[in-house]
Amino acid sequence: MKLSSVQIDAMQELGNIGAAHAATTLSQMLSSTVEMSVPKIKVVDVAKLADYIGEEPAALVIFELQGEFPHGGYIIVYISRKSAVRMTNTMLGLTDQNRPLNEMDESALIEIGNIMASAFLDATAELLGFVMLPSPPTLIIDMAHAAMQSLIAQMQEEIDEVMLFSTELVCEEHKIDSDIIMMPEVTMLKTFVERLENLMKSS
Amino acid sequence: MTETAPPNKSQVMIGIGEYHVGTSPMMTIGLGSCIGLTIYDRDLHIGAMVHIMLPESSGRTDRPGKYADSAIPLLLTKLTERGSKRSSLVAKMAGGACMFEYFGNNLNIGERNAEKVRSALAEQHIRISGEEVGGKSGRTVSFFPEEGGKVTVRSADGAAHEI
Repeated sequence: MKLSSVQIDAMQELGNIGAAHAATTLSQMLSSTVEMSVPKIKVVDVAKLADYIGEEPAALVIFELQGEFPHGGYIIVYISRKSAVRMTNTMLGLTDQNRPLNEMDESALIEIGNIMASAFLDATAELLGFVMLPSPPTLIIDMAHAAMQSLIAQMQEEIDEVMLFSTELVCEEHKIDSDIIMMPEVTMLKTFVERLENLMKSS
Repeated sequence: MTETAPPNKSQVMIGIGEYHVGTSPMMTIGLGSCIGLTIYDRDLHIGAMVHIMLPESSGRTDRPGKYADSAIPLLLTKLTERGSKRSSLVAKMAGGACMFEYFGNNLNIGERNAEKVRSALAEQHIRISGEEVGGKSGRTVSFFPEEGGKVTVRSADGAAHEI
């Protein structure tokens, strides 16, 4: 699906609102400032996915978009493996950065992902005027590309290009970088665009 | 980003649905449910590698490397054009993992990919001389036609081994 520049602007604004709410919750959890990048919309050919998401080990907290529109795609909270340790250390009051992630880390990461994804979806759903809920979370600590590839393979509609909404959230104080990525199904994307166009007309 | 060794620049990177035929080292990174399939010619010392994403093409022809049922005939055609005889070819495959326990509304694509690759190779009478499929973890696969068709598999922790 090709988007016009107006539609891209509208989608960027949607991402902006969602990510700002997610950044606020992350900032509260870390008790520190979190900077947010400008949300990027990337249309990625699946053959070139590795140019965007590599094989580096990362923690990914993954949710399916549910609610009024079931199987709407996925929302992914991506945290590099090193940042994941720093993040849970900050929350749990630990200092050793060269330790393996244990069950407590995993629970903490799932909780962080849950809070961030819920904040993102609440804010965007409110704007769009329909209910969007995250599925129960799945935590993957593995090659990021492998997880993303597996999600793309199981999307409802087979695609050669995937649209990623990606916003980087960085906490300088604790050297933590994370990314909140939304990967909507084509039908969901169409719904987003329709709703946003109606909003723009009515405003 | 610095936790794994960067891919060797001389290696041909094969993205989802892409393939390559020749003698250069080849690589598919971060396979989850996808399959990295290699076919090696023991007489000509050339090889082909493809990054398969789904089992069935269901009539689609624009990206034959993306599907198990069309990728294997594609590689065989390309190898035959270079003079390969069916009897000299051996295959290896890795990938086909099932990374998610939830999102259970989908059948196990990794397993279906591996099954389809096996049956398509059997149909063409190509023997599988090494494989590492299934499990829950991602894999990066490297293929070295000039080193006797060596295939190595690496996991997220960086440990690599030959299959």
